[in-house]
Amino acid sequence: MQTTQPQRLRPLRVPSSTRTLDNGLRVIVHDDRSVPLVAVHLMFHAGSRHERPGRTGLAHLLEHLMFEGTAEVPKGGFDDLLERVGASNNGSTWWDRTNYYETVPSNAVEVALWLERDRALGFHEAVDGAMLELQRGVVINERREAYENRPYGTAEERLQAMVFPEGHPYRWPTIGYEADLRRITLDDVHDFHTRAYAPGNAVLVLAGDLAADDAFRLAERYFGDLPGRAPLDSPAAPPVARPGEEATVPDRVSFPRLYRAWAVPAYGTPEWAALDVLAYLLADGESSRLNEALVRRHEMAQEVDCWLYPTELAGMLGIQATARTGVPAADLHEVVSEILHEVATRGPDPEEVEGAIRRARRDQVLSIGGVESRAEALAYAATVLGSAEALHDSLDAYLDVTPERVAESASRLLPSDGGATLVFIPEEGGP
Amino acid sequence: VTQRTLPRPRPGEPPVVQLPDTDRRVLESGLRLAAAPTGATGQALFRILLPCGAVCDPPARAGLAALTANLLQEGTEGLDATALNQRLDRLGSSVRVRGAHDFLSIGVTALTETLADAVAVLAEMVMRPAFDADALRRVKGEMVDELRAREDEPADRADDRIAHEIFGEHSYGRQPEGTEAGLARLGRDDVLAFHEAHFRPEGAIAVAAGEVDPDSLAGVLEDCFAGWRGAPPPVPEARAAGEPAAAGNVLRMVVPGAAQAEIRVGGRGMTRDDPDWAAGALANYLLGGSTITGRLGANLREAKGWTYGARSGFHPYRLGGSWTVETAVGAEVGDAAVAEIHGELLRLVDEPVPADELARARDALVLSLPHAFATPGRVLGRLATVEAYGLPHDHWLRFVERVRRVGGDAVREIAARHFDPAQLVTVVAGPGEGS
Repeated sequence: MQTTQPQRLRPLRVPSSTRTLDNGLRVIVHDDRSVPLVAVHLMFHAGSRHERPGRTGLAHLLEHLMFEGTAEVPKGGFDDLLERVGASNNGSTWWDRTNYYETVPSNAVEVALWLERDRALGFHEAVDGAMLELQRGVVINERREAYENRPYGTAEERLQAMVFPEGHPYRWPTIGYEADLRRITLDDVHDFHTRAYAPGNAVLVLAGDLAADDAFRLAERYFGDLPGRAPLDSPAAPPVARPGEEATVPDRVSFPRLYRAWAVPAYGTPEWAALDVLAYLLADGESSRLNEALVRRHEMAQEVDCWLYPTELAGMLGIQATARTGVPAADLHEVVSEILHEVATRGPDPEEVEGAIRRARRDQVLSIGGVESRAEALAYAATVLGSAEALHDSLDAYLDVTPERVAESASRLLPSDGGATLVFIPEEGGP
Repeated sequence: VTQRTLPRPRPGEPPVVQLPDTDRRVLESGLRLAAAPTGATGQALFRILLPCGAVCDPPARAGLAALTANLLQEGTEGLDATALNQRLDRLGSSVRVRGAHDFLSIGVTALTETLADAVAVLAEMVMRPAFDADALRRVKGEMVDELRAREDEPADRADDRIAHEIFGEHSYGRQPEGTEAGLARLGRDDVLAFHEAHFRPEGAIAVAAGEVDPDSLAGVLEDCFAGWRGAPPPVPEARAAGEPAAAGNVLRMVVPGAAQAEIRVGGRGMTRDDPDWAAGALANYLLGGSTITGRLGANLREAKGWTYGARSGFHPYRLGGSWTVETAVGAEVGDAAVAEIHGELLRLVDEPVPADELARARDALVLSLPHAFATPGRVLGRLATVEAYGLPHDHWLRFVERVRRVGGDAVREIAARHFDPAQLVTVVAGPGEGS
């Protein structure tokens, strides 16, 4: 079989232009006429890390309330008007940011902009106690459905609390703790909205079938006169270096599962890219190190995964492995430690690193494969890395990753006696 | 000074939708190729579909198609599993092999520059798999563990139960991965025989999207699949009735300690080539096609705050189909939620749909068509549906034209046929007492 020689990867580019309105709102435009759609993406530099302890879940609950309607567009009207023009919309909240987005056929971009303007201006006077109670119920059920009622569903919030120290704003889950969700008041909602949703704390991306001049003109028309406010303060975060922590959790599961996690350098640092390559070579693909050892060679695990969060104050790298029938979690732990030690001391092979970089590229290409995801990528870079162009730096960073840097990062940043070791085991009398 | 309200914009004419240009050809082997290049994104998607999913599992051999599929990544005559997977991984490709209900699919997500090399590996996997005995033992064990893990997930338990209630012993009534008992019986001879019979180019389909050149892809396929010949045996044609035996009943499953009640309501659906498919899509959209504006979501989520979401959908297969409602609600309101769902179903059966609600649903389906083709992945998925189910090439344009013409009477006919609680079975998996 013929195999072509490895080729240098083409640089990936998402061209855009940025202007800042007088009120501080940054507007980013990406012109792509291949599909008659425009992605409207509004991202606020405000997430669960801007909450305070005791009010966790507030940023996400606010996101739900933003869909509850205004005097001009009553409840249900937001979706109603968008559906009538064939548009889809949603919102999401994470540690560092909250986003709202609409994907509209290119004849109807103004409908989305008009609706975003309406709720930016009309939210305060519209939101009331009944709306808060209703969405509090929806969110508590979201918490149950997505986390509490799922096997291993509380793993992530446990890892956050183990990896990040007391007082660190990545310590709690974006969905919030149920007791905190029950405590949130309308005053909390107003206060967070006022501080977090200032124009200077947001970026608006318009991507797709729309000329740049028209896009900037529309942004000015619908958002130019929104009052500017002082941007949100980011609470200071304590340093993350901590001693290792271990926990064992009985759960309604049939198979033990091991998690390891570490707080690591933030998204946008050279170490982050090296760690992402490490994550790919550890667990992406059937020949990746953990797959090869745990699933295939030792037949100890059903599946393995390794992930790295692109977050602003620090990253979090996690490894998970779910045991096969009869395999204790301790055996998984031993093999994971061996493999990390091997990578850190002997270093990965150059071909292995090259493959991992290509697989990372495969997913990057996917992440900018349509106007919706490109709009989000631009908004995220502008929000967390400081500018839309920084997206290119984060993509290019992979091309400089070498086996030596992967080994050095593994050795220095993922110490075997540090980070979180979390084990789920079947509870007594469980399934 | 901020002018509080700007006039509501009036959208202009919706854009004219053009389906991606698709190059269709039949290769020397009989394999049909449909490729839809979608721009210089650097991404190339390719998938082969063989019409031998779990419906082709022999009696008492449930899981054979899926097991055969899962073994394709375990080595070929020329490359052991390690070498095979290293080659794929170093190309930066990701391969996904799956035995589903109707089709067995072998797909690759690749970078444009490595697609040809990845397809060459795929061809070896399809034509000359090793079916190593040790790998077979391991993969069977993994499949059993996966089936057991479904028992831990309340949502999976409810899904599995409703499928079984609707389809009974038909293969659509279980996971394509089969059953523990079926898997236990499978040996290497079964897999070899299944592969020999079913892995044939006639009737097989290849689809591609993304940054692909149809001519060069066709050339690569001719080279890599040279010598592949033959036709598989006819696939079973027995229709799956999808009439639940327990229609009209609420069946309870106890999940000790569950924080929510997982609710499923389901019954007979339809196939994609059903003349009423468009009317069905519209009727379903009104009820649960959108979790915010659909009647189920508007009631259970937006009015009551009992759930994060409630949706419904038709699930079309080649030999039949189902229709289900799914939601998860706080355990304390499980029974009340079932009553509300049944009430919404009856309302659509018994009462005319207001013209404005109907118009909105119609516009939502018709005008969102560009969105359905907005990424290479979506283009590939829609192309695969058209090719695999033998739909007209302009199926999606016809679909929206039909939706445009669906009136209120047609919606109520659909509702009477598919949404009447008396013809449906309801499953509640929650912490309460069982019956």
